[in-house]
Amino acid sequence: MFRTLSLTCLSLFAAGFAQAATIEMKVNGLVCGFCAQGIEKTLRKYPATADVVVSLENRLVVVATKDGQDIADGELMKALKNAGYDLKAIVRTERSISAIRTDLAKKR
Amino acid sequence: MLRRQVLWAAGAVVLLSAYFPCSQAKPIAFANGTSVMLEYGGNMMREAQVFYAPRFDLSLGGGLVRLASDLDGRQREITYARVNYLPKRWNLEAAQANVFVWGGLGSAEISGRAGSIFAQNVGVQFDYETRRLYVSAKTDLQRSDQFSHRIDTVQFGVAPYAHDYDTLATWLLIQGRRYGGNLYDGTEGALLLRLFKGNKWLEAGVTNDGKLQAMFMFNF
Repeated sequence: MFRTLSLTCLSLFAAGFAQAATIEMKVNGLVCGFCAQGIEKTLRKYPATADVVVSLENRLVVVATKDGQDIADGELMKALKNAGYDLKAIVRTERSISAIRTDLAKKR
Repeated sequence: MLRRQVLWAAGAVVLLSAYFPCSQAKPIAFANGTSVMLEYGGNMMREAQVFYAPRFDLSLGGGLVRLASDLDGRQREITYARVNYLPKRWNLEAAQANVFVWGGLGSAEISGRAGSIFAQNVGVQFDYETRRLYVSAKTDLQRSDQFSHRIDTVQFGVAPYAHDYDTLATWLLIQGRRYGGNLYDGTEGALLLRLFKGNKWLEAGVTNDGKLQAMFMFNF
């Protein structure tokens, strides 16, 4: 009983401090500011979204989620499709979105 | 005269771009977005439009277009409600192409006649763009039982550098435009400078007759 209670408390504690996820997506058709604006507006509507970065040069859309929250791949694919774009690849990384933003700025 | 018009247009672009740190003119910008567009085509065409897009492939709204003949001074002022639809989009790795169609109904006032008459509007646009190249072709027909005015526009643009979302995009364009319905004799050419950043777009230049042509678009 005590062991079960301890494990439950531990898992709740861990969930509270779970790291935010950074999701990198390769998107086809990203050629102009309107494209980026539409995608950013769509992704920022998710309650789990903390920040969004769009790079036309790298055909990249990055979403950072709030601590302990996530957006399912299927949901992101649907969001991009409903915005009029094709999601080609999706990966979850350890890099923070600010580090990605800095890397993108350095590449210019 | 032409030089003065070019200088005036360049000055207007610089001044306006300072206020509107400014993408491609499309009748549908993005899902859940509103577009406001103002266009000045010399003395012959002035147009204002507002559209809301509930989906990425559909927008609804209206506009006001004033057409004036360069030949005999006749004028038409047409107010319309319009539906724009994107039947096909190609999302390529580093390019995008679109086909837009639209149709609308409205009322027109004709110079020298009292009252207004029923008018219809239909059009189609194809565009292809990368971050360095832009090509578009558009035809727009305003008609009633008293007139039929078709404006065909082709644009070819190159960007001196590839822009990104947070940088200013600069485009140099050559435009050819043909006005049907005795508005203008022949095809009008224009050289245009297009600037955009984020949600604001400004385009301005001069026609081969030395007339100012300008367009401003804002999305939110």
